[in-house]
Amino acid sequence: MIDGTASDIAATGFDLVLAAMILGAGLFAVTVRDLFGAVVFFIVYGVFVALAWLRLGALDVALTEAALGAGLTGVLLIGAVARLGRRTGTQGTDALSRRSAFSVRSVSQIATMLVSAAVSVALGWAFLSLSDSDGLRAGVAANLDASGVSNPVTAVLINFRGWDTLLESIVLLAALIGLWSLWRDDDWGRRPGLRQHARADGVLAMFGRLLPPFGLLFGVYMVWVGSSLPGGAFQGGTVLAAVWLLMMMAGLMPPPMVTSARIRAVLIAGPLVFLSVGIIGAFAGGFLGLPPAYAKPLILMIEAALTLSIAATLALLVLGPPGGPAMPSGPGDAP
Amino acid sequence: MSAWFLAFATLLLLSLAGALWRIWRGPEPADRMMAAQLVGTGGVGVVLLLAAASDWQMLDVALVLALLAAFAAIAFVKAQSVDGSGDPEEDPVSPAAGTDPTTIQPGRAPDAR
Repeated sequence: MIDGTASDIAATGFDLVLAAMILGAGLFAVTVRDLFGAVVFFIVYGVFVALAWLRLGALDVALTEAALGAGLTGVLLIGAVARLGRRTGTQGTDALSRRSAFSVRSVSQIATMLVSAAVSVALGWAFLSLSDSDGLRAGVAANLDASGVSNPVTAVLINFRGWDTLLESIVLLAALIGLWSLWRDDDWGRRPGLRQHARADGVLAMFGRLLPPFGLLFGVYMVWVGSSLPGGAFQGGTVLAAVWLLMMMAGLMPPPMVTSARIRAVLIAGPLVFLSVGIIGAFAGGFLGLPPAYAKPLILMIEAALTLSIAATLALLVLGPPGGPAMPSGPGDAP
Repeated sequence: MSAWFLAFATLLLLSLAGALWRIWRGPEPADRMMAAQLVGTGGVGVVLLLAAASDWQMLDVALVLALLAAFAAIAFVKAQSVDGSGDPEEDPVSPAAGTDPTTIQPGRAPDAR
């Protein structure tokens, strides 16, 4: 009893400090003057939010937040700030356009603040007015045996609400196609991202050789364990994407050609397998309905294909369009 | 016992407030980045203590953080290099050769189809 009360007090203290840190990191991220500082606050915010999901018992979400919020998004944003600085540094700024942009900017800032505050108030009101119910938890638990997996989150994502996950995987693909459609015509046929290089015997190249085996192992583990414990295709795919990006950033392998049929096959593999299983299911009973007898192998097959597609899509999204000046037409004839 | 773990997790979390202050103050981007790395490492420690206090399955989150928290630092180091895609350890390239720095992918034709 004594120990129970003590750990309750300790838990409340931890939650209060964590909430203060999340609020602080969020507030600093929007108020710091330095753009790079804002990005760093956002990364830190991701770590704290992952801790908050842990305290709420949502391990699957905590894994995703740790992988995306604290990991991959940081890489994306830091690269974006660097590209922005490089671009504005070379072009220079027009004083007049800057002054007129200032008033537009402050108006848009105030509008953004008001909209954000309204959304926050609406969300808070919605949360406080929720009736005290268990949601669909009991229903999921009652039908978990028929889903083929024992992790309720995976059961919902791939089986009970497979429709949502299928569309999400297609949305991810659509985002990549949208990014590709923004490339300049001259860039089509070049490799995505900046042309990465590193000292062959340096720390970065060494890191790029040392970490990938562990990352690959952990990514595959994440997908496999997702059928019974927290984990799954999205978390595993994010880890694999990060490992692939690391090997490219260390200059150990070139980014893939977006025109190559192989990378495109990997990109559509997940949605394609998911959709095929769903259509076959439509003949057997219902669209995206998995027969309980085959549910586990089908879910693992869908998750494996989704993992590859998610990893490739996320990595290509982070790489972005080809950077730097247009490459010379042939190798070796640089100016 | 779990009360102790949570108490130490709270202390560890409070120590990360110092990192927040350093990110706010800077002044150099490298100071900010190192503070973010501190939060990543401290976050791993907090997750480990939470796992000991409640559920060992949380260790997977610590593994993800440990694996991926360093990636932001790599992206930062790359962004600090001369052309934004290099490595500060490389031999300095002359400005004229800025478009064709030494690469460890020799003979790779960038436009090869």
